[in-house]
Amino acid sequence: MELFLEGAATLFSSPLSIFIFFCGLVGGLLFGAIPGVSMLTLAAIFLPFSGYLSAPDAIMFYSVLYCSGTYGGAVTAILFNIPGAPENAPTAFDGYPMTQKGLGGKAIGAAVLCSAFGGTCSVIFMMLATPLLADVAVTHFGPPEIFSLVFFGIAVASSVGAKTLWKGWLSVLLGLLLATVGLDPVAGEERYTFDLYYLLAGLHFVPVILGFFAVAEVLVQAERRAAGSYDMPKFATSFPTLAEFIKLKWAVARSVVLGFFSGILPGIGATLAAFLSYNEAVRWSKTPEKFGKGELEGVVASETANNAATGAAMIPLLALGLPGGALTAMMVGVFQMHDIEPGPLVFINSSDLVWVVFAAMFFANIAILVLGFVETKGVLHLLRIPFQYLAPGILLMATIGAYATRSQVVDIAVMFAAGILAYFMRRTGYSVPGIVLGLILGKIGEQTFAQGMQMVSYDFTAFVSRPIVAILLIAGVSTILTSVYRALRGRRRDIDI
Amino acid sequence: MKTGMKWGAPVLGLVAAVALALPAQADKHNTLPDTMAKPGGFPERPLTMIVPYGPGGGSGQVARGMIEGVKDATGIDITPDYKPGGSGMVGLKTYMAAPADGYTVLEHIDDATSGFAIGKSKIHPGNDLIPLVISQITFSQVYIRADETRFNDWGSYIAFVKGQDGKSTIANVAGEGSMERINMNRIANHYGVKVQQISFDKGGPRYAALKGGQVDALFEQPGDVRGFLESGDFKPILTLLKERPGAFPDTPSMTEVGLNFTPLMRFRGFYVHKDTPPDRVKYLQWAFQKGFFTDSYQAFNKKKFMDLIPSFRDTEGARVLINETMEIYRQTYKEMGLIK
Repeated sequence: MELFLEGAATLFSSPLSIFIFFCGLVGGLLFGAIPGVSMLTLAAIFLPFSGYLSAPDAIMFYSVLYCSGTYGGAVTAILFNIPGAPENAPTAFDGYPMTQKGLGGKAIGAAVLCSAFGGTCSVIFMMLATPLLADVAVTHFGPPEIFSLVFFGIAVASSVGAKTLWKGWLSVLLGLLLATVGLDPVAGEERYTFDLYYLLAGLHFVPVILGFFAVAEVLVQAERRAAGSYDMPKFATSFPTLAEFIKLKWAVARSVVLGFFSGILPGIGATLAAFLSYNEAVRWSKTPEKFGKGELEGVVASETANNAATGAAMIPLLALGLPGGALTAMMVGVFQMHDIEPGPLVFINSSDLVWVVFAAMFFANIAILVLGFVETKGVLHLLRIPFQYLAPGILLMATIGAYATRSQVVDIAVMFAAGILAYFMRRTGYSVPGIVLGLILGKIGEQTFAQGMQMVSYDFTAFVSRPIVAILLIAGVSTILTSVYRALRGRRRDIDI
Repeated sequence: MKTGMKWGAPVLGLVAAVALALPAQADKHNTLPDTMAKPGGFPERPLTMIVPYGPGGGSGQVARGMIEGVKDATGIDITPDYKPGGSGMVGLKTYMAAPADGYTVLEHIDDATSGFAIGKSKIHPGNDLIPLVISQITFSQVYIRADETRFNDWGSYIAFVKGQDGKSTIANVAGEGSMERINMNRIANHYGVKVQQISFDKGGPRYAALKGGQVDALFEQPGDVRGFLESGDFKPILTLLKERPGAFPDTPSMTEVGLNFTPLMRFRGFYVHKDTPPDRVKYLQWAFQKGFFTDSYQAFNKKKFMDLIPSFRDTEGARVLINETMEIYRQTYKEMGLIK
């Protein structure tokens, strides 16, 4: 506690530090909310300047940015079906339908509260047991275990968002196929690149997500407007009640654990956390058919988990020097610019700095709660804008976002192609969430499967003999078999998109 | 893949000679003029530097280090533009599509050379591009966990690998035909053993694999694992240099363990398109080479262990390095059956 207070004292010791804290906070909220132009964009822009700040201020900026940026993307996901970042994609599954029902305020309120709660829990866990948890994570979770986790996630996801189980699986498999575009993770062989060099890096999931959600949504709404059946989203600022949250207490607790657990694994992070948590919410729900139609629990699960992953991702970074994602990799660069190597020695040589990070993330999550509610009151008014003005704005924002991801014009084409594909998929009962999940998890899954098989010299028996692998694979296979059985028996209730 | 590669010692010796002939060259360029007239007012605006890898890796770091060095030496602003993907090919090909006016420069590593040699790229980094400066040349090492109980030095490690009958694992970053894989294949061939080389494209998972005991060893460059070395988590058991560098006096060199090939080095540098106006090329050569010798860049290189062997190459020296390295890659790929 003393160390935490010292960290907090350092954090608020000078007007400059306080200013930087709020820059990180507001910057994350704003950049997180603009699709494609995520917190990573701001982080990359700021990187050269961080060398001019003191080490605590520079590291603190990135810590705060990480927390607020992860929440920021939820706002546009809920209001316009445009996830600000991939980890906010599951938030849109139910958040946007809630907006269409006039419950946008409730969805954003839930996102604010759950982001703050998930993030705060994560920071507290992080403060209590960083070195221990980091060791456990890297010792027990190698590529085979991560592949098994991905397999389990995909198995669960087959039931989300499609008219039938078979259409759900076809959607997931299409996502997995798209994930193979680019260089294969073992030998670097080109696949489906058609001699186009910009496909060497594969399909980036940000433009694909923007196409699937933003462009497809504009097309669907435009069609409805042309047909005279367009309903403007209802404006309402009703926030969720305490009773509603108490009712979802187990979903919140489960999402904190899943988010924290996913975030702690190097290379996994908030996106898998959000998808896994959403899928588990569907699986444990007594009314799974309500998901995808505006279920508050869907927003709660996704936003609690992705923010719970932020604090957890700092554990391997600080304790072992292992970045889990793009932003934490940039933080390694910031540490090094100040002649500090993150890793075990950082707790000995720079423990004051570590506690500044802990304090900054703790207060950032508290501040999200306050600023988030203030922001919500303002942004909800965007729903008053008529569709003919809103739609071009959405397309413009999405186009900028698609291009800004990698500064590649081809990503804009990919976004519009994905939008048209998603438009027809939605009309025919295929699952947009399924294809997104397949695309995102497919890349991680293929790479970790290849690495895992190489580790055991291509002996599949040795691969599945690892205890955690066995448990997760059995759980995944059981999930698939159960859903197939239910589908064949006609007991599975169809879910609309 | 064919095994039992045979190496032409004279060709390889040339590379070694180039690597060792650097101090004099570095001294010569340290006396570059402090100022140089801007050719026709160039540059009138900040430059853009295309970096074909992510901002967190070695290329992102060296790009920012050089940007700061050039700024310190000349006042020129440069904005990094990260275009990762395809082992550097996406950024390289994007760069070639940019106007050859000197306002866009390129950072790249030896992947550009190996990519051309294996046929993945049609852009020869020494002919289609003009190297402004090579600013980092580094060697590789093999690391194990410091608390490893099954082996504790190179000899016991090789004995362990032999006993594993091809099941021993080593983490690196690379696909088929890369610098890491070729160096490791040569080591394995020398001892007549097989090692499972597992590629992790991101540093975090790669180092976690060794730290967590998922793999037996790690093939890496020392600057990238400095934190793990200082914390005592990782321990180098072999340096891929002919002699022990001063910073690693307790780690045997490859000569000492009987490896007699010339190792491939990792090198990073800065380039412009060959069609860039010559007066602008000359100005940029001066600016980037001055940037190399600034205190900020030298401190950066030292922090990354890039001062252990001379890193500096001017345009001429860079072309020699690229061409000699290219020849080694071609020979190797032919012997591996990857090219004809």
